[in-house]
Amino acid sequence: MRWTGNGRGLSREAIVGLALAGAYLLFTAVFWAYPFFWLAKLSVTQWRFFDQPVFTGARNLVRTMQDPQFLGSLWNVVRFLAFYLPLAFGGALLVAFGLQQVGRGRAFVALCFLLSNVSSGVALSLVFLKIFSSTGPLNNALDAAIGVRIPWTNHPTLAMLAIALVVAWKFVGYYGLIVYSGLLTVPRELYDAARLDHAGPLTRLLRITMPMLNPQLMMVLTFAILVAFGLFTEPYLITGGGPADSTATPQMIIYETAFRRLQPSHAATMSIVISLASYVLVVLARRLFEKKVVIA
Amino acid sequence: MTRRRDLLRYGAAALLAGCSPRGGERRVDRIRLWVGPNAAEESFWKVAVARWNEAGRGLPVTFTTIPTAGNSEDTVLSALIAGTEPDLSTNIFSGFAVQLATLGQVEDLAAMPGYDALVERRRMRAIVPGWTQDGRVHALPIYSSPTLLWWRADLLEANGLSAPPRTYDEVYAFSQRYGGARGRSRYGMQVIAGRAWQDRWFDFISFYYAAADGRPYLDGGHALYANAAGLQVATFIDRMFRARWTAMDFDAEEPLVSGLAAGAVRGPWDVERFANLYPDTLARIAVGPMVAATPSQEPAATFSDSKGVVIFRNSRVKRQAFDFLAWVLGDEAMNLLWLEKTGLSPARADLLENPRFAGYYRTSAIGRAYAEHVASARPPALSEHTIDVQKIMSAQLIEPLMTGQRSPRAALADAAARTDRMLEAQG
Repeated sequence: MRWTGNGRGLSREAIVGLALAGAYLLFTAVFWAYPFFWLAKLSVTQWRFFDQPVFTGARNLVRTMQDPQFLGSLWNVVRFLAFYLPLAFGGALLVAFGLQQVGRGRAFVALCFLLSNVSSGVALSLVFLKIFSSTGPLNNALDAAIGVRIPWTNHPTLAMLAIALVVAWKFVGYYGLIVYSGLLTVPRELYDAARLDHAGPLTRLLRITMPMLNPQLMMVLTFAILVAFGLFTEPYLITGGGPADSTATPQMIIYETAFRRLQPSHAATMSIVISLASYVLVVLARRLFEKKVVIA
Repeated sequence: MTRRRDLLRYGAAALLAGCSPRGGERRVDRIRLWVGPNAAEESFWKVAVARWNEAGRGLPVTFTTIPTAGNSEDTVLSALIAGTEPDLSTNIFSGFAVQLATLGQVEDLAAMPGYDALVERRRMRAIVPGWTQDGRVHALPIYSSPTLLWWRADLLEANGLSAPPRTYDEVYAFSQRYGGARGRSRYGMQVIAGRAWQDRWFDFISFYYAAADGRPYLDGGHALYANAAGLQVATFIDRMFRARWTAMDFDAEEPLVSGLAAGAVRGPWDVERFANLYPDTLARIAVGPMVAATPSQEPAATFSDSKGVVIFRNSRVKRQAFDFLAWVLGDEAMNLLWLEKTGLSPARADLLENPRFAGYYRTSAIGRAYAEHVASARPPALSEHTIDVQKIMSAQLIEPLMTGQRSPRAALADAAARTDRMLEAQG
């Protein structure tokens, strides 16, 4: 951008530039900055939709950090990740290695994996609700075979596992394609050199493939953490947050607090805490596991 | 340059006008009404509003269905915040009406001129106490949908019962015969409606009202259900699960159709669903009261899933809106039209005695069973903490009973104590 020499205002080029940037800035101001500042304001005030916000300082924060339901939902994120991460990484690696073995129709197979990712969370939750039902096909088959029915959605640990399975089904194909794109970038010469050094398949996997996939695996880890903090549809429909709030997620608690208990200030504080927690967890994961991959 | 500035100015003004509340545009020359977003209700209001407008009884009414893709409460709340709410809205459940009243957004209908006459004319004396809080009525019930037990009459007969069970002991005896015949592959009845907090209306609270003769389970800041009636219900639920006469859930299929369960709590809204999807099953349904330890006086108390109508505080035509309400709720012809269009019983206590409605109920045995219970059915507790109260019920009472982790007495006492603590903390 530059001023015109005659001092009469902006040049035509600067006006065009401002107009192009302005559209984005306006969009950001209306749909990001305004809600963000309103959220920040809400979190330090007491407001119930129709009155004037009254400044209350850290009261909402103290209340949030003492709210057993909210703290329980944070713990549920950790419990979900304990099931979800092995499923996500294991599934993604399986998909990626499997795709390598596919000859013709690889694009079609990849597309099929993406279909689960773009399918409606509501629809697949309803399908899995029937599958996991105590009187559903899975339990009927188990009952007929070994006389056992598994309380998939009625036991705190199993209910979380069931939700992790549903979410994994939705995302594993997508994660697999990310990992597969990483596999394509690993130079073949590295494997050839390793074979010359008599490195076995396991050594090649652990010493070459996995380190070279670190950027893709970190991406999957970051996505998985964000999925865990943003989880709503599946637990809401499959377990309703139960049993005993063992599958209640922060998003469910925030929604209920804002729109069912009509306490938007409290919910705003929760959402800020959740944002910070997810950010801290992503940073921590990167510090612990991210490696710089350089082929010397 | 001036033209460009003007354009910018007008553009910004248009944008801000679109975002700002439209409180200043409230009409005084017509009444705006929102109605429940379903075809049956819409068809009723279409006729009712047209008749009102034709007769010229008062301000003309315009109506639209609640513009929602999700649930009505969120939409009404959004409209109130944006200042775009109508003068009247139907489809309001009593707990939400209490929340709106706490926020000062709805009128006290009991204070409106003509309220007593309406209650008298509509035979609602036995019904309005359930909608009255501290002498105020924030929503008037349009319809009352009692919960009752549906039984497969053919399965009852095959197991020696000529009529639906009325007591726990009869349910136990039937379940023993029915469930025991083929191992665990079928169950006496569905006891628990689901996992969500609102499902408690259709299991524990329905059974509790039947056991307690309609006495309340919550009174302001205290849970009242840790009593003999509550213990009877908790013991019933516990025994059904321990004996495996019911399942943890019936999500995989409609249990009454396959006979997976021979009985289940159902509301009048299920009649149309079954008529469309499972007409053969509907023909074999016998409707019975909510079971209790001992048969209560007829008709037995039960839960009523009712929706009401509110007048918003910011309306500038409140009196005129109430006049319309008094006409549409108080007119027997309108009540009959509602019944015919929706199949839901108007919230009036004379449905079976009044010859105007008798013709409709003569043709529908299931409809008659629901109509019998309109006066004895009780709405949910009038509390703005409904969600927390019923989440505690789920986590501390129902789920421990389902899994057998706690005895009925301990679970009941714990749930009530936690409810009291929560209500005390909420102030």
